[in-house]
Amino acid sequence: MTIDQRGQIGLEFNTFGFIFEQVFISLKRNVLLTLASVITMIISLSLLGCSMLFLANASFVAETFESQVEIAVFLQDYLSSEQVVDLQNKLEKIEGVASVTLTTKENAIKEFEESMGSKTLLEDLGGINPFPDKFTIQTTDAHLVQDIASKVSKVTGVEKVRYGQGVLEKLLQFTDWLRWVGLAIVVIFTIASFILIAFNIKTNVYSREKEIQIMRLVGASNSFIRWPFIIEGMFIGLIGAVIAMVIVGFTYTWLLGYVMSNLTFLPVVADQLFISKVLGAMLLSGIGIGVLASSISVRQFLRT
Amino acid sequence: MIKMKSISKFYPNGARALYDINLNIHKGEFVFLVGQSGAGKSTLIKLLYRDEIPTRGQVIVDSDNLIRLKEREIPLLRRKIGVIFQDFKLLQNMTVFENIAFAQQVVGKPKKEIENNTEVLLEVVGLSKKRDVYPDEISGGEQQRVCVARALANNPPILVADEPTGNLDQDTAWEIMEILSRVNKMGTTIIMATHALYIVEKMKKRVVTIDKGKIIDDRPEGANRFGI
Repeated sequence: MTIDQRGQIGLEFNTFGFIFEQVFISLKRNVLLTLASVITMIISLSLLGCSMLFLANASFVAETFESQVEIAVFLQDYLSSEQVVDLQNKLEKIEGVASVTLTTKENAIKEFEESMGSKTLLEDLGGINPFPDKFTIQTTDAHLVQDIASKVSKVTGVEKVRYGQGVLEKLLQFTDWLRWVGLAIVVIFTIASFILIAFNIKTNVYSREKEIQIMRLVGASNSFIRWPFIIEGMFIGLIGAVIAMVIVGFTYTWLLGYVMSNLTFLPVVADQLFISKVLGAMLLSGIGIGVLASSISVRQFLRT
Repeated sequence: MIKMKSISKFYPNGARALYDINLNIHKGEFVFLVGQSGAGKSTLIKLLYRDEIPTRGQVIVDSDNLIRLKEREIPLLRRKIGVIFQDFKLLQNMTVFENIAFAQQVVGKPKKEIENNTEVLLEVVGLSKKRDVYPDEISGGEQQRVCVARALANNPPILVADEPTGNLDQDTAWEIMEILSRVNKMGTTIIMATHALYIVEKMKKRVVTIDKGKIIDDRPEGANRFGI
């Protein structure tokens, strides 16, 4: 430590070496407290990571279900192909409509023939195609389906509009509930892990109140006292986070493999980039909470 | 070296700890602060290393005005003042050697210098053989000697002691006083609060008597009897 002309205390390289030495000595001395902090960190961050993955999957399930909701629009029989194109343009301009796909009556019967395994259906029906022209509308948001459907039904040239009436409402209720539960779990676990870790580190710092007091009495500068605690908090955060990342990473990968091979109907998030983002968030939270909690705790002893 | 001008100290609850204290202490002096418990001795001592700030008046230590001292300058003041406590305030999880070295590490001394200096200090207080022992494995007198060594570690020009013999029997107390005398002879200014009158009488040093927060007597070095 050096003292410049204005009496400022600066930290020199030599001092940094000493601070790091101090950190390891104190981690070793307070081995039980350190262990408790690291374990708290592992549990909290694992829960946090799991809840984030749960939220992502809940939203993904909701999205997948919702994306399967379509509006079928059957057209009146006498429309010319120009009118059909006009109508398609009109429908595409309605707010919330993502795409409008046309299935002409000719295609419809062909598809039907294929699905029935018959090639002579049209002839059997006496050459009269009973299928109307049909638009399939995909919406940007399943919540808009009802609204769009009622708008579409008022457009001239539209005979009939169909969507999963009744079923849709129940589906939306379920997906909304799924999203809220996922979000609530993330919020609850975030708060819980912050409190748990902060409390643990605070206990750690408080148990060394005397040490801090003595450091101050023998003339240690505030930054000199603060740094070892902050580095310690960072270190505990780092170790806890890395272990939690390994646990969550492996567990999730294993779970993914299981669901994908055994519960194929369940949509899951298998995006590597997303998983690494969750793991990264755990790392940052761990280090962040560690540093924040220790600097706040130690600050209380540095006031005169 | 130390000047206190018209010091008064009131606590937030209105209690008066010190009232109109005027005190000059010169370099190299050995001063006893005596008085009953609660007279204000500890408060006065705490003003010196700025653990407390007076409500009114000025405290000047080694030409620093402590009232105007900025937060970040406090550590620099404390390096000029070694402090010894009745309850030692040693770190239980550090050895004798580490406790003394610690005080030097916080001011950023080089490692080699700390080691040499700590060996010398251990010799001064007669604890070379117990360097690697923890505080709870040695006697109260030995713990206090560690505390003295720690207070001296950064060569402070001033040493303050608050009841340093308060927890010790008479023989052990004299061991501590002998060390303090030697340190004083080497030029360190010492201010010691105590109510051990047998020590005060025998040492024949300057004695400042405090009662209910006021200085009621200030006898120079060499005086014989004290009126308490």
